[in-house]
Amino acid sequence: MISFHEVCKTYWLGDEKVEALRNASFEIKKGEYVGILGPSGSGKSTLMNMIGLLDTPTSGSVKLFGKDVSKQSDDELSRLRNQHIGFVFQQFNLIEKFTVFENVVMPARYAKSGLDFDPDKYAIELLQRFGIGERANFHPNKISGGQQQRTAIARALIMKPELILADEPTGNIDSKTGEEILDLLEKLNKELKVTVVTVTHEPEVAARTKKKIYVKDGRIVDRL
Amino acid sequence: MKYLLFQFESAFEDFKRNKTRTFLASLGILIGVMSVVMLIALGLGLKNYIKGQFEDLGVNLIIIFPGSGISGGAASFGPGLSGGAEFDERDVSSLRRIDNADYVVPIFIKSVVVESEGNEEVGYIYGTNEDVFRSMNMEAISGKLLDKSDMQRGSKEVVLGYELANKLFDDPTEGTGKTLRVSSQRYRVVGVADKTGDRETDASVIMSYKTTYGTLNPDKTFFSIYVGVKNDDDVEQVKSEISGALLKRYKEDDFSVSDQTELLDVVNQIFNVLNGVLIAIGSISLIVGGIGIMNIMYANVTERTKEIGIRRAIGATKKDILFQFMAESVLLSLFGGLMGLLVSALIVAAVRPFFPVALNVLAIVIAVGISTLIGVFFGVFPARRAANLTPIEAIRYE
Repeated sequence: MISFHEVCKTYWLGDEKVEALRNASFEIKKGEYVGILGPSGSGKSTLMNMIGLLDTPTSGSVKLFGKDVSKQSDDELSRLRNQHIGFVFQQFNLIEKFTVFENVVMPARYAKSGLDFDPDKYAIELLQRFGIGERANFHPNKISGGQQQRTAIARALIMKPELILADEPTGNIDSKTGEEILDLLEKLNKELKVTVVTVTHEPEVAARTKKKIYVKDGRIVDRL
Repeated sequence: MKYLLFQFESAFEDFKRNKTRTFLASLGILIGVMSVVMLIALGLGLKNYIKGQFEDLGVNLIIIFPGSGISGGAASFGPGLSGGAEFDERDVSSLRRIDNADYVVPIFIKSVVVESEGNEEVGYIYGTNEDVFRSMNMEAISGKLLDKSDMQRGSKEVVLGYELANKLFDDPTEGTGKTLRVSSQRYRVVGVADKTGDRETDASVIMSYKTTYGTLNPDKTFFSIYVGVKNDDDVEQVKSEISGALLKRYKEDDFSVSDQTELLDVVNQIFNVLNGVLIAIGSISLIVGGIGIMNIMYANVTERTKEIGIRRAIGATKKDILFQFMAESVLLSLFGGLMGLLVSALIVAAVRPFFPVALNVLAIVIAVGISTLIGVFFGVFPARRAANLTPIEAIRYE
């Protein structure tokens, strides 16, 4: 489903050339639960952004859902993100001025072709399943960090994607709530057969994943 | 449909959170639209006022001036000033023979010094006949007007215009019965006419044209001739018959025949130009308002870079982001425009009892149309900046 071949990413910070990724090659199959591990600054976030179609490689090829990413237009990339990928961020990245419900259904509003389900109904269903149904009309700043992250996961799932990308999903919440979030991701992987890719530097989070990709100084140093 | 609703709701949500800023940003457009709409209302008011004045004079009145056009003749009263024909009694009788001419009024006009009871004022002698009162819609506020037999006799009886009577006497109605002296001739005032709104007529001493023959009008000529027409529809036909009759004595360039609608057209043309200039000046404030909107939208884009990043990550295309910010600037501008229209409508309603200002469709179209256009024009640059942010940089922005 995801295939990286000799992917390099370099960018300039002022006069300094930063090689964020060097010749990264790996594959992730449908239904896997994968951890991308490494210390901060290792290039794992760059890797994650590239899988999420938010960033493009300097060289090498990235294939996602059988498509060569470099050949897609910006509109097509937006459509792929919208319909096939769900993001879960460390900072939750909910939009404060919208309610929990409005945040969750927002991806569906950007889907211009007809959906074969009612996103409003599905949003309520997801929120109830995650135990925050009664928080639907609250604004994000009125609920706890754990509830915000569950809202973000509901948003990631609203379009019924094949792939969930979680960037340090437990980084901003306490360890007990973190456990619950990890349980949730595991359950999604097992029960809904959603491919889950988690980026983390925390060993406890890494321990949950079935397959591990270690990144250091922009290189993939190990695969387990 | 749901998509549009979502985009506009999104904009409203943002306005709700920044009420003061939203109001201030649209204030520029409010003032701009208000000034343009008010200038239009004022222009229309002036036009209505002038039109009212002309209608008092009667629309089916044909005026014959010496000279080739109304521009020269009408503007400068006084015989001999404009050159061309000098009309006399023969012309009056030949015009009387035209079928649909209701009445013919010869007008001799001369600026004089009028003296009564030791007061001296400048006025105008009108040497004319009894139909002058009909043609000018004049009525007596004191005494009587001159009738046909008074005029035929060529008596030394006169009717005073309101303003002249007001200057000569403590109360204009006191004029009746008084004696006037004009260049050593004495005249008896038999009545005072009510205000007509016409400067010369209100300052006139109206007498029989026969009375003026002699010292005042030794050549026995008239400055102009008014012809009243019974029926509006006959005006054009009567005009051509008048020209035909006069061409027997005069050259084409020596006289001009015009009716009130022509004068009105000229006045309208002048006011349209004036209005255009005023609106152009008013539009400057609209541009300033538009720049205000652009400024606030740039600030908005910078402030919401992270939000743009999040929206892009969950699938918004460049077009979606462009549309979102365009919708916001258009709504902002439209809000200002409608408020401006509302404020103008209130002012118009308040001023209307005193001056015939008016709002028309043009004003509403301008308020709605121009403010939308301004929203689009000044919104497109900030919106394009928003749309062209790369998702990865936008979402990292703190």
